[in-house]
This record gives sequence, C-alpha cells and structure tokens, in this order.
Amino acid sequence: MIAVEHLVKQYGRFTAVDDVSLDVQPGEIHGFLGPNGAGKTTTLRMIAGLLKPTSGRVVVDGHDVALEPEQAKSSLGFIPDRPFIYEKLTAGEFLRFHGGLYGLEGDGVMDRVHEMLDLFELRRVEHELVESFSHGMKQRLVMCAAFLHRPRAVAVDEPMVGLDPRGARLIKDVFRRMSERGVAILMSTHTLEVAQEMCHRLSIILKGKIIAQGTVDEIRQLAGGADDHLTSVFLRLTGGTALQELEEAV
Amino acid sequence: MKGAFTYLLLPAIWSSRNRAARRQPGDLTRAFLFGATGIGVFAALFYAAAWVTWQLNSYEELGDYLLRLGLSWIFMTFLAFLTFSGIVTALSTFFLSDDLRLLLTAPIASRRLFYARFARTVAQSSWMVVVFIAPVLLGVGVVRCAPVSFYVTSALTTLAFAIIPVAVGTGSTLLLVNVFPARRARDLLMLMSFLFVGSVVILLRMLRPEQLMRAESLPDLTGFFSSLQSPLTPLLPSFWAGELVFASLKGGWDLMHAGALWSTALACCVGLRIADERWHFSGYSRSQEAPKARFAHFRGVDVIARRLPLSPVRKQLFIKDVKIFLRDVSQWSQLLLLLALVLIYLYNFRVLDLGRIPYMSGFVKNVYALLNLGMAGFVLATVAVRFVFPMVSAEGRAFWLVRKSPLEMRDFLWSKFWIGLIPVLLLAETLTVAANELLDVDPFLKSVAAVAILFLSFALVGLATGLGARYPRFTADSPSDVSGSYGGVAFMVIAVLLVIAIIALVGWPSTTYLYYQLRQRPIPGVRLASMGACFVGAILLTLATWLHGMRSGIRALDAMSN
Repeated sequence: MIAVEHLVKQYGRFTAVDDVSLDVQPGEIHGFLGPNGAGKTTTLRMIAGLLKPTSGRVVVDGHDVALEPEQAKSSLGFIPDRPFIYEKLTAGEFLRFHGGLYGLEGDGVMDRVHEMLDLFELRRVEHELVESFSHGMKQRLVMCAAFLHRPRAVAVDEPMVGLDPRGARLIKDVFRRMSERGVAILMSTHTLEVAQEMCHRLSIILKGKIIAQGTVDEIRQLAGGADDHLTSVFLRLTGGTALQELEEAV
Repeated sequence: MKGAFTYLLLPAIWSSRNRAARRQPGDLTRAFLFGATGIGVFAALFYAAAWVTWQLNSYEELGDYLLRLGLSWIFMTFLAFLTFSGIVTALSTFFLSDDLRLLLTAPIASRRLFYARFARTVAQSSWMVVVFIAPVLLGVGVVRCAPVSFYVTSALTTLAFAIIPVAVGTGSTLLLVNVFPARRARDLLMLMSFLFVGSVVILLRMLRPEQLMRAESLPDLTGFFSSLQSPLTPLLPSFWAGELVFASLKGGWDLMHAGALWSTALACCVGLRIADERWHFSGYSRSQEAPKARFAHFRGVDVIARRLPLSPVRKQLFIKDVKIFLRDVSQWSQLLLLLALVLIYLYNFRVLDLGRIPYMSGFVKNVYALLNLGMAGFVLATVAVRFVFPMVSAEGRAFWLVRKSPLEMRDFLWSKFWIGLIPVLLLAETLTVAANELLDVDPFLKSVAAVAILFLSFALVGLATGLGARYPRFTADSPSDVSGSYGGVAFMVIAVLLVIAIIALVGWPSTTYLYYQLRQRPIPGVRLASMGACFVGAILLTLATWLHGMRSGIRALDAMSN
C-alpha cells in the first residue's frame, strides 16, 4: 500500500535520506524507528508529497506521488509531527473544510465529522475555537482529519508526543481498529514500548540508511539478543548516537 | 463549490467571521480608532483630489492635459509599489505560509491552489493601493460630474492594473526561490523592499513638489510632469489605466487601452500559472530544506557588553536582545526606512523658505520649534510602539527561560527599558536639536526643546516597556502584530495625549518668555512663578508616566510568574 523505493534526499552535500526502501502492506502497522536526525521525518514528508526526493520514488495505493500526486494523496492520511490547524476555526469547521479538500460533499460529511469527533472524544468541543485546545486535543483533532476521508494508508510522525496515558491508549486503539480494517499505517516513533506493542514490522533508520528491517523478533535476532527488550536492541543497533541521546536526557 | 479555487479561501473568511463574533477586550476601541483614522485619511484624499481637480478646471485644455498626466502618474507610482509588494507577499503566500503544510498534503490540483494563492496575493498586495486610489478617483469624479460608467470603469481598471505588477512580482519570487532558499530570499527581499520605499520617498522629496504651489511657477508645471514621461511610458499598464480612466471621465470608451490592460492581465495569470505548475513544488521543497543559515556573529556586541558597567545577567540580556534584533532583517530594515524619513524631515526644515515673510520669520521660526517638538514627540511615540512596546512579547515562546531563571522581573524589565531608551533618545535628540539648529531658533527654545525631548523619551519608553509587559502577545507572528494589539493602541492614545500635554505645558511659558524678551521687559514675578510651575508640571508628568508605566509592567510580570 505504501512502497518506498530507493529514496534519496540530499541537502547540498549532506545526504539526509540514503537509498531508503520499505513496503507497508494493507492492514500492517509498520514502525519507523531511529535516533534524532536519522531521516525519519524527511522520509515521511517525501511520502506525503511535501518534499521533492532527489531520487527514488514513493507509491501510495498504486499511484506514484510524483506523477499522480492527487490520486496518491487521496488515498493517504498524513499526521505530521508539527501539524498546522487554523486556530480561528472551530473543530467542526476545520474538519468540514478538511473533508472538502478531499472531495467529501453532501449531507454525509457532517455525519462523518461527528463520527470522528466521537471516536476521538472531541464531540463536546465541536464548536470551540482550535486556539483554546490543549496540545493533546489538537493532536487528536489532526488524527480526526487524517482519518476523515477513509484513507487506505496513513503516514504518522510521532503520534504519542504530548498525549496523556488516556489519549495514548485511545490512539493505539484507533490505530489497531484501522489496521484491522485494512488500513496500512507507517508510524515513526521514539516510544519503543509503543513500537513493540503495536507494530507488525519495524524499520530502523540511522544516518539516513535503513540498518534493520523485519518483525520485532527478527530484529532482536539480528541484534544478537533474542530475549532483550526492544530498547536494548535499538541501542545496540544505533550505537553511540542513541546512547548519547540517553545520556543527554538523563 | 468544493472544486473551485474559492473553496480554499474559506478558512480566511470563516476565521474573520469567528474573530468578529468572539471579540476580545479592546477590539471595539481598536476598530473605532482605526476606523476613524481610515475615514479621516479617506476624507483628506478625497478633498485633496477634489480640490486639485477643481483648480485644474479653470485651465480648460491645459487642465485636462494635466489631469490626464496626473492620473497616469498616480498609476505609475503604484506600478513599482505593487511589483515589490507582490514579490514580498508571494514569498509568504506561495512558499512560507504555515497552511501550505496542510494544503499540499491534500489532493488539490496545483492549478486550483495557484489561483487561490494568487487571489490572496493580489488582495494582500493591493488593498493599500485601492484604499488610496478609491477616494482620489471619487474626488475627481464628483468634481467632474462623471457618469456612473466612470466609477465602474475605474473599479475594473484598478483590478486589472493590480493583477499585472503583482503577477510580475510573483513570477520574480518563483524564480528567486528556485535559486535561493526561500528564507534567505525573504531576508533579501525584505531589505530590498525597504530600501526601495526609502529611495522612492527621498526621490519624491528631492523633486521639491512644493515649488508647484507658487503662483509664479505655473509654466514649470507642465515641465514637471513632462519630466516624468519617457518614450517607454505608453507601453506601461499605468499609462493604459490612466488613459482608460480619463476616457471614461469624459463619458467615452477607450477600447484599445482596455483591451491592452485586460489581455495583459489575463496573459500574466495564464503565464504565471504555467510557470507555477512547473516550478512551485521544487521551490516549496527547497524552502523546507532549511540549510545551515549564514549569519553575522556581531562580536562587537560582546565587546561593548563586556565594557558596560552591568551585572552579568543584564549583560547577557543586552547581548541577546541586540543580536536578535540585528539578525532580523525585517526589523532593522525598517530602521533604514525610518532613517530615510528622518532625513526628509530635516531636509524639509533646510528648504523651509521663511525669508519670504520677513516681518514674521522670527515668530514663525519659534512656533515651528514647538511644532518640531510635537513632531519629534510623535515620531518618538511611533518608534516606541514599533520597537520598544513589542520587546517583552518578542521573548515569545522562549519566555519560560526567563521565568524559570532566578532573574527578578524587575531586573528583566529595566534591562528592556535601557536597551530601548538609548537608541530612541539618540534619535529624538538628534531630530529636535538638528531641526532647531537648521531653523536657527532662539537659544532658550533650543534648550527647552532638548530638555523636554529628554524627559519625553524617558516617559514614552517607560510607558511602552511597561504596557508591553502588561499586554504581551507571546504568540504573535511579528512585532508589527504586537504593535497593532490592544496594548499598542492604548499606548499610542496615551502617548499622543502626553505629547499634547507637554507641548502645552512647555509652549506657554516659552512663548511668554520670548514675548517679554522681544519687548525687552522684565517678566513679572507672578508670571515667572506660573512659568516655573508649568515647567515643573511637565517634568512631574513625564516622571510619573515613566515610573508608573514601569511599575505597572513589573507588577504584571510578577503576577504572571506567580
């Protein structure tokens, strides 16, 4: 459903994404892991059609993002790490407008908007301005928008950042339900517990290159520690950078 | 409807409606003040256009000729302005606007997005031109008893006229962004546009249009306008627009120029759309790349800070504020514009021909000195609201750094005050002293004005700093948004009242002194005491404004921290 083939992105002489290939099947939740600055967000932005790849291609639902951008984008829901929402619109207005961008028309639009607001527990704030929302509420509103047009594939960048445990639980449940309905989800995350709990397969990226790919068990074996927690595996694979991050965090 | 490009304009319309429906404190006051100012400017332009047209009526054919040239000249002035405005606006609407992150991930045809963005660019670039040109054409039309078709033609002509230079500007931006990264191009353009405006203002001033007001210079009038013409002029859209409007003023139709104007406008739209479809995405993609920015280190600021007798905390605040200001091109390029205006202001005093009224020149000079004090006060208030008032808000989302540090809010705000005061005081004193020197006013008035502007600087900078802390807008996109907020408007109202009060308190004793000096009579004791009371009153008023403004700001920041 999402096929990334030999994707490269260079900024001058710096290669941010270096020959990345991955494939997300319908119904699969694919975790995209890597330390800060590894190239996760750049890859996701190229999949969403916000950045032009230096080479390689992205295919969503059989449509090349570069050649048939409208068809590819119609099948994709994108949840960025720093989403934009019109602050002076109400949640209902924002979703109605967003639906219009994806060609949703008629009486059914508001029913779908309400369905999404109920799903993400935002119905009570439908008529409130977005500017009054907390970070978590905005995050859930962006997810409402991403799933509004019934996408066949979703690319999501750090979905759990800033969410309270209840919000995180809700998002996980929604992702699982969408995946059961055949939606392909490519999820970048730093939360390794989330990746371990939810993802069918993982890709680990370091300095722009994919260094490991497979199920959680396959990656454990690749790292040479079959019973290890994913955090240890991740640190072993990504080496100093991740350890340095941990040290910095501590 | 959802397939039309106008659908993409809905968020802006809905946002405006929601903003109007959910009024914030001060919105009404601001609307009233801006509305009243707008009506005042509109009325002044209408009156000026009507007066000039009325005067030209007495010259029959020459009047018609001059009116025709004048219309063409007005459009020509806006041609360059709209092109530059188009370049700067397109950079934001097509490449840097935040909502592009949402719109470009949606399945929208690039053609649809282009038309929506271009409509927004034309509207944002040309609204000021429309606001200026509407009363002017209305004034001309009313005096000439123009038919209804004149007003319809004028509206349509202005629209087509605006599209052409904005399209050229947008095309230039498209080219620039594909060559430079957008953020660097923005800095470059911002600087260029301010330099452009500054040089246009200086050029206009150097033409000395006041000479045209002299009765003996009428023969020079045609020469003045002719000097603005060139063989290329008939090829410019401004000429077509002027001819078109003039023809409709006379009740006729100028189909040739109408055709030229509209076909060029439509061709510009189509050509630009094709270029946009080809190069927009690559330009937008480049704008997201954020290469390592080149910037100046301004090590001199560190050297100066080291030598200043300040505490380490204040030194660091000073270095941070000065460096951030100097690295923000949009900020200091406005200073260049201000400098241009100051030069014109002083130049005006230099060319002021008071010798033409010999018996009154001494008196008029001294009145001008007080007028100059008032003008300097208003310039001071404008600079303070634009540069000093937003200083606390400029901390933005990084204000938590200050709040979590052991730094006292009092120290923080006083540091802002001193950083704001020094340049503002230098500017105000230079303006006042230089203008009075050029006018050669009485030494007593020179000293009074220099001292008065010193106290006014303390008062207005203190008030701006304090109110800026009391009504901060940490989430504002730019300092000009902060200046236009409720607190900024409140500051301007208080500042104007203060300047008027100071002029009154200083003006009366000064003129009284000059009156007795001129007659070489001693000043009676009672009068001397009242004069002294006025001066003391002015000093107390400025000190009270300064200290109360700062105290209220410190209290507000302390309350925020608690």
